[in-house]
Amino acid sequence: MSHDALNTPDLTLRQKLWHIHWLFVLLLCAAAGIGFAMLYSAANGNMEPWASRQFTRFCVGLVVMVSIALIDIRIWMRYAYVFYAVTLALLVIVEVAGTVGMGAQRWLNLGYFNLQPSELMKIALVLALARYFHGGSIEDVGRPTYLLTPLLMIGIPAILVLRQPDLGTTLLLVMASGAIFFTAGVRMWKFALVTVGAVIAAPIAWQFLREYQKQRVLTFLNPENDPLGSGYHIIQSKIALGSGGLFGKGFMQGTQGHLRFLPEMQTDFIFTMLAEEFGMIGGVGLLGLYGLILIYGFAMSLRCRNQFGRLVGAGITTTFFLYVFINIAMVMGLIPVVGVPLPLISYGGTAMMTLMIGFGLLLSVWVHRDVMIGRRGGDEV
Amino acid sequence: MTPLISSTEDRRQMDGVRKQALETGRNRLLVAGVVITLAFVAIASRLVDLTVLNGGSEPRTATNEPASDNVIGRGDITDRNGLLMATSLPTASLYADPKRIQDPQEAALRISRVMPELDPVELTRKMQMKGRFVWLARNLTPQQHFQINRLGLPGIAFQEGERRVYPHGQMAAHVLGLTNVDGLGVAGIEKQFDQQLRLGSGAIELSLDLRIQAILQEELKNTISEFTAIGGAGIVMDVTTGEVIAMASLPDFDPNSPNNIVGDTAFNRAAKGVYEMGSTFKLFTAAMALDSGTVSMTSSYDARNPIRIARFQISDYHAENRWLSVPEIILHSSNIGAAKMAVDVGTKGQQDYLRGFGLLDAPDIELPEIARPLLPSPWRPINTMTIAYGHGIAVSPVQLASGISALVNGGLYRPATIIKAAGGTVVERRVISAETSLQMRRLMRLVVTAGTGRKAEIPGYLIGGKTGTADKLQGRGYANSSRIASFAGAFPMNNPRYSVLVVIDEPHGTKKTFNYATGGWVAAPAVGRIVSRMGPLVGIAPDLQVVFETPVIGKPKAKVREAKAIKKPDPFFKAASWRKPAPANDPDDEFTRQMRTALGRDLAPQ
Repeated sequence: MSHDALNTPDLTLRQKLWHIHWLFVLLLCAAAGIGFAMLYSAANGNMEPWASRQFTRFCVGLVVMVSIALIDIRIWMRYAYVFYAVTLALLVIVEVAGTVGMGAQRWLNLGYFNLQPSELMKIALVLALARYFHGGSIEDVGRPTYLLTPLLMIGIPAILVLRQPDLGTTLLLVMASGAIFFTAGVRMWKFALVTVGAVIAAPIAWQFLREYQKQRVLTFLNPENDPLGSGYHIIQSKIALGSGGLFGKGFMQGTQGHLRFLPEMQTDFIFTMLAEEFGMIGGVGLLGLYGLILIYGFAMSLRCRNQFGRLVGAGITTTFFLYVFINIAMVMGLIPVVGVPLPLISYGGTAMMTLMIGFGLLLSVWVHRDVMIGRRGGDEV
Repeated sequence: MTPLISSTEDRRQMDGVRKQALETGRNRLLVAGVVITLAFVAIASRLVDLTVLNGGSEPRTATNEPASDNVIGRGDITDRNGLLMATSLPTASLYADPKRIQDPQEAALRISRVMPELDPVELTRKMQMKGRFVWLARNLTPQQHFQINRLGLPGIAFQEGERRVYPHGQMAAHVLGLTNVDGLGVAGIEKQFDQQLRLGSGAIELSLDLRIQAILQEELKNTISEFTAIGGAGIVMDVTTGEVIAMASLPDFDPNSPNNIVGDTAFNRAAKGVYEMGSTFKLFTAAMALDSGTVSMTSSYDARNPIRIARFQISDYHAENRWLSVPEIILHSSNIGAAKMAVDVGTKGQQDYLRGFGLLDAPDIELPEIARPLLPSPWRPINTMTIAYGHGIAVSPVQLASGISALVNGGLYRPATIIKAAGGTVVERRVISAETSLQMRRLMRLVVTAGTGRKAEIPGYLIGGKTGTADKLQGRGYANSSRIASFAGAFPMNNPRYSVLVVIDEPHGTKKTFNYATGGWVAAPAVGRIVSRMGPLVGIAPDLQVVFETPVIGKPKAKVREAKAIKKPDPFFKAASWRKPAPANDPDDEFTRQMRTALGRDLAPQ
């Protein structure tokens, strides 16, 4: 992190620490705190096995986040393609030599921990696309040929992740990339074209879906079709939400979760548990907290004066939004069941790390908001 | 839009292109922000809907009717006096979850030690099946339930259920019907009122009287064994309400052990069987003739010679070979006289009256096992003549009982019912006048005091009725040895309360009856015994003082009716009288063939 090499009006480390958006960090901590409480409740009032580990991870994540925030944004920009290439390579390795777990090939066993390259790709793709569009003028972006490279940059990892198979992550990658395209100024009619194309292609894509994925979509359309089979999750989840009422049953009083009607309550369905125990007030409260985080995320991006930072900020914030939206919409039966965790709250190390790295980048964007970056990554002269 | 960056100095530093890109980016980001806000509003409102509004209530499937199996609390069935005829006892059934069975052979051995009737090999096979559920035994006794539970075998469990119990065994088995292993009604009242019984709201009160049912079944059984008949049917009906007081069909079955039902034992002859009833139909012929005024009690017909039509010959069983008055036609059961009376009434009139008596349509009785009558089609003059004495038409015993009730109760037809009358308005229609009904009662009483039904007489009960003996259709024609012997009666004739019908299928004569197996010898005494036994139970004491006039039988003089028939000859009848050669393709022969096929099919065991 040698700022001298980049020849900029430098901020000292001390200044940068001061520049970090600590209110935003506080919001993240508040959300994570709710997560610990829910995991404590999910274990019937025990720190083990989930809450304590989640706490450790969050602490490590905080350190990682602050470190990343302090690293100069231009370094991230310089190494964006490298980072992307390495992650893509890891994805290919997973494809040929990954550990198969729960019916999907997603992890690389690196001795003492498992690496999930598709999670890293969420960050790497945002960085690489931001770098690409940073160099382009609005006229460049208007040329269809200019868009071929970024489309490939999305397409290759998306197909690899889809093959694992991981529909949720694929959708997340594609949609976050879409947000970057949108922010970069890709013409509206192209989005319309892609939407129409997707609608037309949907029946064809249907044939390539795995049986369980088809089942999930069908179940989404009518969960009561198979109440004990694939519709079970959603029905139990809705019952839990309904039984929460206005104020909920109280902390650790939720029956659906504690009596094990609700499977996987510590991960993807943790929002249901929260809404059962704290009712509508708790659920809307958490949504409000997420909303604040999102508002600050977009505000930080807007305030950034370089295109790269703004695009990174938009990409990260959109990814976070997609996590929240997909998860909550899923447990409420608004969209099909897709394996996406509730950010900062669901138990799980990899998702936590991805998020904290992402927030670190967002904070870095904020800290370096006034840095001018040239079209080729050099300093603004 | 309020850009966060507002310093003009900064702006100047940017070239136009980059500025534009940044502007676009800012606009786009704000648009994205709006979209995301909308999305948040959407999920927040859905959350409110699910938690506070009723969007998240229990799915409706849980509140629907229980699945068709595991019916609990099936309602009782009682007789008219509230005696229990069918009820449900809680029982447990044994099932296994093969996936959780650790050692099928060991488990099978231990279970078969408690329940020796179960084959260990078969048990092992069941417990090794794929899937998560297999029945091992149904309806365990509490003792077996306790002992198997004490074995503590994993993967073995009980399904609480019910067993249908019929405390009176074979009593009115055909009426009650059956339930299957899942507790659903499959026959009789159990089927007809399945929905109502499953709801379990109160017992279904039948019109049956168990005491009279027992009498009917016993007398029917005795008669069948005395005359080595193949079966029989009997009905006791309240003539004022149409309620069936007793209904029996033999051979019968025990609904408690449905696995033992063999052959046609489950066939309800009283409602599902249709028979050519023979001479009992002459009552209807006489009634329609008297009611329509084509004859009076003193009219008479020439019964000296058999009627020959085409290849048919109508002759008398107890031939008197003389002119017979209307009472004599009934008394001596003259086919010739009945046929001539019917011709005077006419085909249309005959059909109207028979329909009025409920003999041309399926009965309304609340049983799933009912039969439509077999009728000639087309209905030719020859059919009019044979139907006059009960041939060429086949009706069920319950229809005949309803018709007899209407004859004697003052002339009102009331649909037969198996459900105890609530005392509300009764559906009824007038068929014959009260005057005709009284005349019919006098004729029916005459049959018992001086005619073919003398064996039914029980002093003081004023029984009246009519015997019937019909040859059964067999193969290409009517058989001589296999016949239906019946007696359709009612009592007491001065104020009829009940009609009693006994139909015996293929009785054989005994020494005691001088080898006669007619309605008068077989069915009439059975009806007499039933009346003598049920009378006291229904509060009718034998009254030896009462006088009920019957028509005076003398030598008839009038020849009016016959003259009329000749004066206005039916074209068909005329042809028959003149003995013209029958056409090559005799339509009546065709009819007999059709009847035979139809009857043969329906009489087959079902």
